[in-house]
Amino acid sequence: MDMLLNRLKELTNNKYFQCIQCGTCGGSCPYGAYTPYTPRRMILAIRLGMVEDILNSNAQWLCTACQTCTSRCPSRIQITDGIIPALREKSLLEGKVPEELSTALINIMRYGNPFKESPMKRDGWAKELDFEVPTMMKKKSAEVLLLPECFGAYHRRCKQATKALAKVMKILEVDFAILGREERCTGDHVRLCGEFALFEDLMEKNMKVFRKYEFKYIVTHDAHAFNALKNFYGLNVLHHSQFLHDNLEKLKGMFNELDYTVTYHDSCYLGRKNGIYEEPREVIRSIPGVRFVEFKRNRENALCCGAGGGGIWLDSVMREFVKVRPAEDRVREAKEVGADVIVTGCVLDIPMFEDALKVTGLDGEIVVKDIAELVLEALEGG
Amino acid sequence: MRIGAIVRIVPDLVMGIEIEESEIVPFKYVPNERDEHALEEAVVFKEKTGGNLEVVGIVDDELRDDEAMEEALALAYAKGADSLKKIVLNRRTFDRREVARAIADHFKDYDVVMVGIQSIDSFAGYLGGILSGVLGYSYVGGVVGVDYDGGLIVQKELGGGVVGKFRVKTPAILGVVSAERPITFVPLVKLRQAMKEMKVEEIEVEVPDMGGIEVVRFYEPEKPEITLLEGDVEELADKLVEVFKSLSLV
Ligand code: SF4
Ligand code: SF4
Repeated sequence: MDMLLNRLKELTNNKYFQCIQCGTCGGSCPYGAYTPYTPRRMILAIRLGMVEDILNSNAQWLCTACQTCTSRCPSRIQITDGIIPALREKSLLEGKVPEELSTALINIMRYGNPFKESPMKRDGWAKELDFEVPTMMKKKSAEVLLLPECFGAYHRRCKQATKALAKVMKILEVDFAILGREERCTGDHVRLCGEFALFEDLMEKNMKVFRKYEFKYIVTHDAHAFNALKNFYGLNVLHHSQFLHDNLEKLKGMFNELDYTVTYHDSCYLGRKNGIYEEPREVIRSIPGVRFVEFKRNRENALCCGAGGGGIWLDSVMREFVKVRPAEDRVREAKEVGADVIVTGCVLDIPMFEDALKVTGLDGEIVVKDIAELVLEALEGG
Repeated sequence: MRIGAIVRIVPDLVMGIEIEESEIVPFKYVPNERDEHALEEAVVFKEKTGGNLEVVGIVDDELRDDEAMEEALALAYAKGADSLKKIVLNRRTFDRREVARAIADHFKDYDVVMVGIQSIDSFAGYLGGILSGVLGYSYVGGVVGVDYDGGLIVQKELGGGVVGKFRVKTPAILGVVSAERPITFVPLVKLRQAMKEMKVEEIEVEVPDMGGIEVVRFYEPEKPEITLLEGDVEELADKLVEVFKSLSLV
């Protein structure tokens, strides 16, 4: 219990007891109506010494770290980065870990990725391109370090987005390189799941690799990697929508017309967590022929895709409580506003929405594209 | 209840061997996956019976300090093993009968010993079975659950999705295929703590060379015949159907 309280103090800057029990958090939470413990009730239960009741209910795992509660809390309490991971840490230490998450964490600890894939094959996506993507090991220095993160490196669908981004960089004649087999998980989900020691271990190992090479900044299309590198590693990092935005004048001259009605999904770790709203919108709007429509819930109010904070490995826990996944609601919202393309800014969104399209029967009516994929399509002529 | 569990390390098939221009990066070792299940089941059984769990690592002499063995034992300790042993094998051959004979004496003091039903470095994976033969104990393989109601009750997979329940006389060796709960993750803090605190009793064992089997020759597998099907989608579909028919698949 003392360890939990110390962790809560540390992660919330001692603010967790300033909760005024207003209920804004639970009212804002995508799982608020289903969870036995909203953040408000969690804090109350902690005050009453009923921590085991929360842990036994599994409510600590029913959170996809969307940051909505935190961004709205009038007492500015770090719920997403504090209360929830602290409770999860206690759960982990007591050996109560949901199955898929357990497997993902074992794999990250052993192999530096959640898929039980060989670290040697981390650059496999680059070998599928018809040009060579240089590694830092060979090149030693580059202007841009492109960091695909685990999903972008290994996941069958997500690596298409990585390849698109690399192609755009090539077209823009950017001097870039990758870490290849030297790259490993940056650990944002690990941290949000309360495995702080593993997060620090990953950070230490990654920093050792980063320090070996010279680069001006990192570019990543994984919003969680972006968040970790920016706010915890303290590195100079651009989300790829910012990178595309920085190169927009050059890109504009090369864009061909596309015939799509596009909506843009604000990923939690770009928008609510890091305030990036306009850059991706400006990139999309500047493509000729594209009709841009907003989701009804957009920017600060955007609905989470459900993958964050380890959510992608917590589906069976979620299903105990929730019948309809947030991603399913989200793709229905896209249909409501008449979009035929959902453009995303975080690689994790892609499989979440593509699965949701299949479940909702909207597969075929709407497609999901990473912003780099849309840009590449405009460059290559649709 | 005195419970024993065996853990071994095996080459990591995920990492594989990397052949580079200037060097061959050798494979690493990892705890044997089936033994991880045996350990998990042994931990579950300890929780059910309040028994004493001793985990025994078995490792070849040249790998005695391999970090995978240390990790396997630390994981066991962090999960609740009461004591740890490491049997170091000095051997020239890789016959499981010889290993079983050599280590049998060290498995006489348990009521139940759990061991993974296979390991990727052992083609037939029959250590548990032979060990029980040497010791004269009961043996059940394909185990997916263990209970105790004053006697030992073992659930075993029988194939085709059928599971059977058996009452088993102790002492017994159980070949575990899958623990009844998923392998639990041990947080890094607990793993590091276990590595610091654990005490491992090391035992050197000479493996007898029993002879009786001599390699005459190894055969390379036959090269499969490959036929490339070509044509447009319609033609390909027709050709595929022909192939399936010739294989009696449709
Ligand atoms: S929004 Fe903040 S202050 Fe209000 S109940 Fe939730 S945690 Fe407490
Ligand atoms: S971060 Fe999102 S999912 Fe988690 S408790 Fe807050 S609002 Fe709910």
